[in-house]
Amino acid sequence: MPPFKDEATLKDPEVIDQQVERMIERAIARNIPGLSLPLTESELDVGPTPKELVFSNETARLFHYEPLQDEIYRVPVLIVMSPVAKGYILDLARGQSLIEYLLMQGHDVYMLDWSAPRREQSVLGLEEYVIDLVGGCIEAVLSDSGESDVTLIGYCMGGMLSAMYTALNPRGPVKNLTCFTTPVNGDGMALYKKWMTSPSFDIDRLVEHLGNIPGDFINSSIQALRPLQRSANQMRLLNNVEDDAFVKAHLRFDRWAVDQLPVPGNLARALVKDFIVGNKMISGELELRGARVDFAKIDVPFLHVAALYDHIVPAAASRDFIGMVGSSDKQEIVMKGGHVSLVAGGNAIFRLWPQLDAWLAERGV
Amino acid sequence: MSNEDSMDPVRLWREWFVKSEKSWSDSLTEMMGDERFSHGMGRYMHEALHTHRMFSEAMAQYLANLNIPSRADILDMSDRLAHIEDTLNQIQVELRGQRAQLTKLAASSGITPDTGERKRPARTRKPAAKAD
Repeated sequence: MPPFKDEATLKDPEVIDQQVERMIERAIARNIPGLSLPLTESELDVGPTPKELVFSNETARLFHYEPLQDEIYRVPVLIVMSPVAKGYILDLARGQSLIEYLLMQGHDVYMLDWSAPRREQSVLGLEEYVIDLVGGCIEAVLSDSGESDVTLIGYCMGGMLSAMYTALNPRGPVKNLTCFTTPVNGDGMALYKKWMTSPSFDIDRLVEHLGNIPGDFINSSIQALRPLQRSANQMRLLNNVEDDAFVKAHLRFDRWAVDQLPVPGNLARALVKDFIVGNKMISGELELRGARVDFAKIDVPFLHVAALYDHIVPAAASRDFIGMVGSSDKQEIVMKGGHVSLVAGGNAIFRLWPQLDAWLAERGV
Repeated sequence: MSNEDSMDPVRLWREWFVKSEKSWSDSLTEMMGDERFSHGMGRYMHEALHTHRMFSEAMAQYLANLNIPSRADILDMSDRLAHIEDTLNQIQVELRGQRAQLTKLAASSGITPDTGERKRPARTRKPAAKAD
């Protein structure tokens, strides 16, 4: 039966509206693929696990996730995010969330997530990020949990910050250290090294002009490492457009991938000069407020997880890490996956998460 | 994939693109790692910064004449909002701390007030024994 029966009906806009609305509702009820997809960003509903703000200083935001078990491990876990990435990648959706998984296994989880720096915060550098902000958050975790030590989990550059803090404070309070896909060797970041050692590249001039390095700039730099990947992902989306679950997961990932945070000017300067160009973590010349950062001083249980197909932090940039750390209880796991899918992809629940839980559980009492 | 799909040339092209993307990307990345490209990119960036500065200054004056806010005005407003957000965060953190203090004080004097503070779980969990 046609939806508009007669000419009189066609002339009444209200009736037309009602008819169209009914047709759409019926189509959705019949579960026609594509129609129930989230159309706006807010409908994607990322970061669903309940949390509370515990501490806030400059660009650092410390959140505590509501425990999901009546009995939890003694040592709280603090996840340190990369200063260029938003933390919701680890809590994308129910069932696709490392945070939710750890809570379900009985861990007490905190996250240090970063906010976009304001213009006056362009003065924040590596020293402020490691000593004041990571350090401040660790103190806040200890005070909030009532415990005397903490397990750090650093993701990407968050791993660098966590390792630097642990190396500068070998007597505690860090009890265990885990780093995911963490770069330590600037020479291994081949493309960035080429660009940044070119005589025409001047980071000081860039910072002087821009203050903070915009998120779009960071995003373009990351995309340059695999320029056609995003287009290929769009093709994959078109080939799977009838699979609602695939499309939703794709949209969430895609949203995160382009949602990079700006970097404070001074931090960008340090990353370029000390890490990429100077390669000071490898040469052992890196100093923060006069103290030398020596990873050999890290003697707490240490786990490094690298991804086999990581094009952002390739093996050449991270493989030296395990050898530099002084701990006797140390382990490196190289798993199938890319930089992000390792921690947040559909297979992480079978690959990384159970291994991480087992490692933490043994050392979290 | 249905038989109809497998004959769709656009779909076949997309599948080919997905499969060969890695090698195309690697070639492009290698090209971008070339000395001349790196040098050219650095020069382009400086030119772009210079053009941006000139254009921003000219545009700011033009927008001011038209009584329209410029990007700098919007950034000022964004910074002010971020300051307000920071202050609200501090208040939220302070309130959370006060609530925890109140619950502790009340517990020590044998009262159970409704502060909204959830009961903290016991930190006594042990890992499951390994199966032999």
